[in-house]
Amino acid sequence: MKRDVPEEAVADVLLQLRGLGISYGQSDANERRWILRDLDLSVREGEFVTVMGSSGAGKSTLLNLVAQTLQPSAGRIAFRGKAVGGADMPPNPGSNRQIGYVTQDDNLLPWRTVWDNVMFPLMLAGKPSSSDVHRVRRLIEQVGLSQWTKHYPHQLSGGMRKRASLARTLAYNPPVVLMDEPFGALDAETRAQLQFDLLELWASERKTILFVTHDINEAIALGDRIIVLSGSPGQVVLERRIDIDRPRDPELIFKAPTFAGHYDAVRNCLRGAGHS
Amino acid sequence: MLLIAWEAVGRLHGAYWISSPSLVLERIWMLVLNGDLWFHGRFTLGEALGGFLLGAIPGCAVAMALRRHPFSRAAFLGVAAIGYAIPKTALVPLFILWLGVGPGAKVALVTAAIFFIVFYSTLDGVDAVDQKLLLSARVFGASESQLLRHVVWPAVVPYVFGGLRVAVPYAIAGAIVGEIISSNRGLGYLAQYGAMDFDTTLVFVSLVIVMLIVLSVSAVLSLIQKRLLRWQISQSQGARTVGA
Repeated sequence: MKRDVPEEAVADVLLQLRGLGISYGQSDANERRWILRDLDLSVREGEFVTVMGSSGAGKSTLLNLVAQTLQPSAGRIAFRGKAVGGADMPPNPGSNRQIGYVTQDDNLLPWRTVWDNVMFPLMLAGKPSSSDVHRVRRLIEQVGLSQWTKHYPHQLSGGMRKRASLARTLAYNPPVVLMDEPFGALDAETRAQLQFDLLELWASERKTILFVTHDINEAIALGDRIIVLSGSPGQVVLERRIDIDRPRDPELIFKAPTFAGHYDAVRNCLRGAGHS
Repeated sequence: MLLIAWEAVGRLHGAYWISSPSLVLERIWMLVLNGDLWFHGRFTLGEALGGFLLGAIPGCAVAMALRRHPFSRAAFLGVAAIGYAIPKTALVPLFILWLGVGPGAKVALVTAAIFFIVFYSTLDGVDAVDQKLLLSARVFGASESQLLRHVVWPAVVPYVFGGLRVAVPYAIAGAIVGEIISSNRGLGYLAQYGAMDFDTTLVFVSLVIVMLIVLSVSAVLSLIQKRLLRWQISQSQGARTVGA
């Protein structure tokens, strides 16, 4: 593995994956089909990590493992040093409400208005307090949906649904947010705006983000660090720190002096991976 | 147009075969005044409503309950297929044997017919619930009962209503058929009595009343449905999408 990041011995590691693997098939370990294998990753508190990889390299699977909607076949997941998932622990998504997950589809409940959708995770935990309501109101304002709280999801555009979905995930204030190609299906302009807004939200909310994308520009524009998954079974084949100053403008990220270097490194890695 | 044609044919050929709208209206008015209509109507309505509730609520509940139990589900579906295959009217003699010639047998007949309609449509709804919505709600920390209440149930409601709307005519029909087979009261009895007495008008009176009942119950259901499914209805009314 190519690494230009020193092996972390830092104390502020929030999320740690050790020897993580997932496989299908019941027989002995050698005959199973591994989707991901021996994956190590440490994510620091407040870090923005973008995950890239050839299709089928297990990017979404990685997020599902962290969200505990899938159970790993090997390895373990630790959150603030405490094991929360592993091959020997039954998966229990949402058990500790530490993880927010923005999936490719917005997954808004069609029978709830924007406001009720954003309140939904808070409502599940009990009667929302007035500070919750206040927080939700502020989040909805930050994603620019103040005028649309009483509308149903089908009355909104794709970009607006994405914003609502983002606000909903941030509403219950999970320290970790997983995002699976959230802006993949949007037009370029909406996408750039949402990237910009996401960076602002990330800066103000200090979330730790694991962001899957297939767009190198996006990965460089958003991330503190890019990891590239590849191969079958999928493993981390490149880890690269993005040293571009913040605040960044995602639309003009290509003007950054080190952009070309990052771009080429990631692209070569993805290409090489594609052929192997 | 149909009414005019009916009236015209009735006058030309004599009212013996098909009666006529004016005769039917006249007779309805008469039956309203002497209380007979209410007397018979309330039995039919009561049986239909009773059977409707006794069939629809368990039908819906069982389908929901089987959601996470594939084994019980397979077992129940096997039995249900047999129950569904039996023509319900063929069960009437059995019901009369068990429950007598009173309203009980008719309620049982209606229940048997309604249960399967609502059960199968609810089951379709349960199967059609978007798995991704369920999964994302679980990531938000939803418990099993919260999933049922906030994700499964709202998604199933349109299917339940689809079943209920199909079920309404069957409920009334079940009650009427039960009454025709054996009874001394109810709209079915009225029709049967009319036919035996060569009183065509009376037969048509009960037909018209039954039709009115079905239409008005369906209208009420459709109103409730519109209210419950505002999130869906507005799709056709205000299908506007706005830019981000």
